[in-house]
Amino acid sequence: MNDGEGWPTAELDDVRRLRVMAASIPGARVSERVLPRPLDEVWDVMGDLEDGFGRFQPDMRDVRVLRAEHGRVVALARSRFGMRARLEGTLRPGWCWLQSRFLIIGMAAAPEPGGGTRVAVTGGVRVPRRAAIVPVGVRRELDLALTRLEGMV
Amino acid sequence: MTPPAPSPPPPAPGVDPHDPGVSLARAALAGDTLAMQDLLAHLAPYVARICGPIALDSGPDAAQEALVAVFRSLRTLRDPAALYGWTRAIAVREAVRTARRDARARPAELADLPAPDDPELSADVRDVLTRLSPEHRAVLVLRDLEGLDERSASRLLDIPAGTVKSRLHRARESFRKAWSA
Repeated sequence: MNDGEGWPTAELDDVRRLRVMAASIPGARVSERVLPRPLDEVWDVMGDLEDGFGRFQPDMRDVRVLRAEHGRVVALARSRFGMRARLEGTLRPGWCWLQSRFLIIGMAAAPEPGGGTRVAVTGGVRVPRRAAIVPVGVRRELDLALTRLEGMV
Repeated sequence: MTPPAPSPPPPAPGVDPHDPGVSLARAALAGDTLAMQDLLAHLAPYVARICGPIALDSGPDAAQEALVAVFRSLRTLRDPAALYGWTRAIAVREAVRTARRDARARPAELADLPAPDDPELSADVRDVLTRLSPEHRAVLVLRDLEGLDERSASRLLDIPAGTVKSRLHRARESFRKAWSA
């Protein structure tokens, strides 16, 4: 047996990983778009939970990060309808996955081979404590989020 | 010369119930999506390592499809301790399927294939793999990268042990020729 040195390996970027997650969660959809800006500029907006994120996610009014260390994050979010959520998850450049009892939020970004950055979002109202999303209005919300994001970068 | 010298086995298949992948699989099965994303981060390099040499340019598609298949059917995994062997079987199957599908869609131009007697190209593992069919590459990956014996490889690929043997012989022969060119 050898250690595979010199053998080709398959790269699975963060957008592909997000597709895998969404495909595995009943009710989840993915919206994608290619933005004509480099990854770091795009992620400056997407990954800024307390500012940029709240401005492009249609349902978010404000988000406060309580703890962020070693890529793990805990945040308090308030929706436009006054509902609160304690989100827990992972945040690193190109990848964000958060869940609360009633919410799932996934975002990813990866350099697009032809130039620019491919962004992808998924998530919605979580079927409590389950890996499932209530499939109502999901696509519309995700598309709206990306349209807003596009106008911000 | 033969293919790269054998070295210590990779940190992959284990059946320890305290293995991080096994406990993540249990939590993912219970509906925790954070455990799912951690399990994905844990399995992705392993799946990519299997799909890369079999599916070559279609490797990223194969790895994505293999992981979708793994996660969608996670609840059918009766024993989480069997996680790695089960994932490996799905990854090999998806890699062969994707490579065959894409080869039909994009027939290789003869000029794209390295000439058998080109010493410069033949030193590259990838170029040697390109000359083999996805099925031959799968046998090579299972035997030489994953360290499976012929019986286990034949069970996983659902082909007779004799076929594994002949495919492996042909694949290794290609490497021998390439490395001695």
